[in-house]
Amino acid sequence: MEEMRLHPALNAARYTFLILLAALFVIPIVFVAFTALKTRADLASHPFYYFPEKIQWGNFLKAWQQGKMSLYMKNTAFICLVKVPLGILIEALAAFALTRLKFKWSNGMFAFFLVGMMVPMQATLVPLNIFLHKTNLVNTYPGLFFIYVGFGIPFGILILRGFFRTIPKELDEAALIDGCGDFGKFFRIIVPLALPAIATLVIFDFMATWNEFLLAQIFITDDKMKLITTGLMSFRGERATDYPLLNAGVLISIVPTLVVYLLFQKYFVSGLAGSVKG
Amino acid sequence: MTLRNLKPWLFLSPALLVYLTVIFVPAVYTSYLSLFRWNGVTPDKQFVGLRNFIDLFMVDNVFVKALKNNLLWMVGSLVFIMGFGLLLAMLLNRKMKGRTAFRGIFYFPYVLSGIVVASGWAWMYNPTQGFINKLLETIGLESWTHAWLAEPKTALYAVFVAALWQGVGQPMVLFLAGLQTIPQEPYEAAIIDGAKRRQTFRYITLPLLRETFLIVVATTMIGSMKVYDIIYGMTGGGPAESTQVLASWMYYQTFRFANIGTGSAISLTLVLITLVVIIPYVYYTTKKSHV
Repeated sequence: MEEMRLHPALNAARYTFLILLAALFVIPIVFVAFTALKTRADLASHPFYYFPEKIQWGNFLKAWQQGKMSLYMKNTAFICLVKVPLGILIEALAAFALTRLKFKWSNGMFAFFLVGMMVPMQATLVPLNIFLHKTNLVNTYPGLFFIYVGFGIPFGILILRGFFRTIPKELDEAALIDGCGDFGKFFRIIVPLALPAIATLVIFDFMATWNEFLLAQIFITDDKMKLITTGLMSFRGERATDYPLLNAGVLISIVPTLVVYLLFQKYFVSGLAGSVKG
Repeated sequence: MTLRNLKPWLFLSPALLVYLTVIFVPAVYTSYLSLFRWNGVTPDKQFVGLRNFIDLFMVDNVFVKALKNNLLWMVGSLVFIMGFGLLLAMLLNRKMKGRTAFRGIFYFPYVLSGIVVASGWAWMYNPTQGFINKLLETIGLESWTHAWLAEPKTALYAVFVAALWQGVGQPMVLFLAGLQTIPQEPYEAAIIDGAKRRQTFRYITLPLLRETFLIVVATTMIGSMKVYDIIYGMTGGGPAESTQVLASWMYYQTFRFANIGTGSAISLTLVLITLVVIIPYVYYTTKKSHV
């Protein structure tokens, strides 16, 4: 919108407002970081806005080891490493069938998968709990994978189907001439060409899995197997008043999120998450 | 059926199987369970018809409170989260120094988990050492300090402020994406006709953002009905159940009090309200995409 030049005074006002608001937005993170770097005595005796007397990197080490952040991080990383590729493979196979293999019900099936986006997780918890108990999968990662993959399916199929449709059909015919079967077509043509969409999905799926709380809270209660969100909750319960340690734990838990966000910022701020409305 | 007819189903079957087991069948079974009184342990369930639903609305004060809180949350989100998102998008829509940095800062909280946001903000609100009360004391407004999360009058609003901090980036990027698609010609024509800035906003920008508004309103409303992590993480529904919402009350009824039927009825209510929001939206978007 270059058409309307802003009056310099208005432009200055806009910058001032944005800078003030950005400062306001950063406060919670700075406050958490300051707390994490202080001793409890320092925290109690000096005003909150004071820089730490002596920076306590040891708090991070303590949260990492005694607070079991290392364990929770490792568990969550494992979950993400298995769930994300597995889920996307299953979703891609389905999206391939919906866009490339002719059958009568392809639109109906797509709609049927989309219905899943309207079902809040709460509406499935009791039956899933019964199911996991019956199959002896409660408090196991395979049980959690299964459920995580299930809840990823509607969104994954929505995105991948949308992208697969944009891949020209002529390429399929070329593959047919070259003697590719359907699996060959899927792995050699569609998947390589859909890599941008798959990459986007990997990033969003990673974030969603890393941040998930409700399912992890209900289906993984063994402390040794807890994930980062549920682990942080029990850490808060155990060390209710050791604020430096607690905030060090909070900061540790957001490091992977922060790294992924900084590396792939353009994916997030492009508004893609909402533009894939179907 | 020939082999060729079976092939699509071969590719579909893993997704279909998992989807049916995890989402579809459980959702149907939950509807069935909502008609029973059951503690989840004993083999026999007592059929009570629609009694659970009637009790929710007539007897369970906390449920009514939770439903009100959800609606309050929805209105608050539509006014403040969506409003701030639009404002920020308008401010950041032109090329300017630091635009990427501003966008990055305002969006960043959105990628954090609800539990992280809850932990950080619970510390901000800490009555004795938290940022908010310390700041008020420092600037001489000691009388304004509160035990923000421990007083029923302030708790829900305090949690909402944290949610606002976390959520504003999402509508911002959606509105930014929408603004990018608006062509310049209408503005030029309007200026030639002597339109004021406020008028171009009202008569050009807003109508052309209609599509984006639909997405943002639908996702905001659905999100407000499902809100859980941040509330559970900050107050656990307390004090005195003042911050319960449907999702958290469903959790308590089902997994703490073992009232499976009641919990199922709450989650079904959640589904029904969500459907009321989604059906017009889906109807509109699918109708349009077939034109």
